[in-house]
Amino acid sequence: MVTTLIDPQTNTWADVFATKAGAVYQCDAERCWYVDFAGKVAKFDYRCLLKLKKAVYNVDIEAKLLETTKDPDVEIIFICACDHTYILTLMQIIALKEILEGTFVMLQLNSILQDRIYRVAV
Amino acid sequence: MKDLIRVRSLISADVEMLLNQQVKKEAYSSAVYLSMASWCNRNGFDYSSDYFFKQAEEERQHQLKFYKYILDMGGNAISPEITGIKQEYNSFREVFEEALDQEISVTQSIKNIYARCLKEQDFVTNEFLNWFLKEQREEEYKARRAIELFEVIGEEGTGRWQIDKHVGDIKYNSEA
Repeated sequence: MVTTLIDPQTNTWADVFATKAGAVYQCDAERCWYVDFAGKVAKFDYRCLLKLKKAVYNVDIEAKLLETTKDPDVEIIFICACDHTYILTLMQIIALKEILEGTFVMLQLNSILQDRIYRVAV
Repeated sequence: MKDLIRVRSLISADVEMLLNQQVKKEAYSSAVYLSMASWCNRNGFDYSSDYFFKQAEEERQHQLKFYKYILDMGGNAISPEITGIKQEYNSFREVFEEALDQEISVTQSIKNIYARCLKEQDFVTNEFLNWFLKEQREEEYKARRAIELFEVIGEEGTGRWQIDKHVGDIKYNSEA
């Protein structure tokens, strides 16, 4: 897995959060995030990242685990007005959820740090 | 690393979700009042029917206030789906009792958002909510006063007719 990528236009990607399964990077210049997961790196803007979070959080993992039907445990994460779709197994859903949870905690932490360091007059 | 989320939106995702729930609550209230207006009209309580039509309109305005605030702050306002509106009531009094219940639930819900905003130090939203807190004083007063009319006038004889006539006159003009 790549930890820091630099694309041809020298836009730097900052690490937001990573696990063994994947990672999320933030690109300040493009004002977006790159989600490296399930074999692809997908670009998400603010709205789409929130929609991705909502779609993943809405999967009822417990219900899926207890399900005894023979249907394959595959979930399609389709996000309206977004270029990417994920077709994930239950294990991948759990992994992606972990990444997104970590990502949003880190983004919130970043927000707090920005507040403390730059925004609030001491 | 830039704080991209804050750049896009003044309110946090949690507050945005609570405000969207409030939009739904206000829309539900408006629909309930409309149903009450219909019931009163069908049963000959025309003044009360007019009163509920006015209330329905007010709730709709509250809904739009929340809706526009979410959008102005960079959030995603969600047009709510409203189902399960009660269409029949057992008595004239029950209509007003449920109206008060509805207002109490709205007040509690706004208090809940206010508490959440205080926790997050979202004073901007708190300031926005102040108007609603004041409005709820009036709404609860009016609903409570209507039920008081049942106590002081009584439902016997032409009581219900008297109550209906006075419902339209209920006003809250406290300077406090």
